Amino acid sequence: MKDTQWPIYQVFHQEQPDRPHTNAGAVHAPDAELALQNARDVFVRRPDCVSLWVVPADQIFSLTAEEIERAGLPPTPAGNGDSQRYLVFLKRTQAGSHEHVGAVSASSGPAALGEAVRSFGTEEALVWWVVPEGLVERTDAAEVGSLFGPAKDKPYRDQAFYHTTTLMRQIRGRPRQET
Amino acid sequence: MNEADRLKAFEERIRRGEKIEPGDWMPDEYRRQLIRMISQHAHSEVVGMLPEGAWITRAPNLRRKLVLLAKVQDEAGHGQYLYHAAETLGATREEMIEALLSGRAKYSSIFNYPSLSWADMGVIGWFVDGAAILNQTMLARCSYGPYSRANIRISAEESFHMKQGKEQVILMSQGSPLQRSMVQDAANRWWWPTIMMFGPHDHDSPNSPVLIRWGIKTKTNDQLRQDFVNQVAPEVLELGLSLPDPELHFDQASGNWLIGPIDWDEFWRVVKGDGPCNAERMAARRKAHADGEWVREALAGYAERQPAA
Repeated sequence: MKDTQWPIYQVFHQEQPDRPHTNAGAVHAPDAELALQNARDVFVRRPDCVSLWVVPADQIFSLTAEEIERAGLPPTPAGNGDSQRYLVFLKRTQAGSHEHVGAVSASSGPAALGEAVRSFGTEEALVWWVVPEGLVERTDAAEVGSLFGPAKDKPYRDQAFYHTTTLMRQIRGRPRQET
Repeated sequence: MNEADRLKAFEERIRRGEKIEPGDWMPDEYRRQLIRMISQHAHSEVVGMLPEGAWITRAPNLRRKLVLLAKVQDEAGHGQYLYHAAETLGATREEMIEALLSGRAKYSSIFNYPSLSWADMGVIGWFVDGAAILNQTMLARCSYGPYSRANIRISAEESFHMKQGKEQVILMSQGSPLQRSMVQDAANRWWWPTIMMFGPHDHDSPNSPVLIRWGIKTKTNDQLRQDFVNQVAPEVLELGLSLPDPELHFDQASGNWLIGPIDWDEFWRVVKGDGPCNAERMAARRKAHADGEWVREALAGYAERQPAA
């Protein structure tokens, strides 16, 4: 059997229930279920996650502000009638990541991109991503405790756990030891 | 738009502080330099698990064991963030891992030195992770979006690595005579290899000008090295420890801690594969990859048997 590294899934995590899902990075996995598991291991070693989504990277349709400036808006293909919902993610600031902002209905990925640009405006984003909603695999609310709970019991992963500044200050205040 | 105009527009974007994203136009050389740097950075995280991983079973107590496990696990995660950033430029993880296992790829030369005592766990954290944080904090401002974002994530997590190490060095330096001599020995062995981590002097670093011009790096090797020495050397001395450099001194005029000459013959020897542990590290990576093959096969078999969604 070929020793493959498997397909790529983009990972979106939600830090608080009232915050949008934001792109964290990507994982490789043989299927969506294991992609969620890998995403938990790679991106949730600390207690700042309440929900994860994974999306097959090759199903994401992408457009950047630079592409629009260089080549203009791509033509919107004529629809074949069957439309489906696409989730829209925008990267809105230079230093930021792609955030979930809503959904559009369209008959194809390229049409959904055109729809997203029209709905949210070209001034609104630096990168547009759309993905068929049906391909988004999400963590189950019932599993949130077992998936994300363990990260909460590990305060030693936080730099504030170590009082190096205080220790150095105490040592500076003491006479030098013989070595 | 012709090639020259595109390059001009690209460099104007860099000057305005814009991030370059996958899909955007970029010069081939920008892509090539980034793949080279990011894959080396990823390999360094992965190989970097080995010197510390060896001490997990020998940690002196449960607290130190949990901390070391968490740190090594973070390094594995950091390797994954970085492989992904390189993938956005068209490199595949298969070819990057193949380049590492075949010995073609480079990784940070620091990981080819052995970790000989528990005190090394403290000194590696403070010196090696401290040096890595300076580099990664700079790279968090990199002009390439995915690499910048990976480094933001890494830097936030890595300050714990540095502080757990520094805490250990502080405590051992104030401990028993045996603890003091252990931590002094570790500091003696890791100081110069850490100084070399920043790479050749600027005048011997052929990639530096283009990396700075395109905002991939915002500081040079020598600037970062000086930041490190200024940050770490005075505190090490305050702990009553010494550093193995008779020329190390504070220079009033420049406000810098100055070091003696670096042994570049040693640096190039280790980079070219002749360090104390190069062969051992590569053998460990190859074994880990081979030992995991049945897991990859089983998962692929399971995925194939699932009904199509």
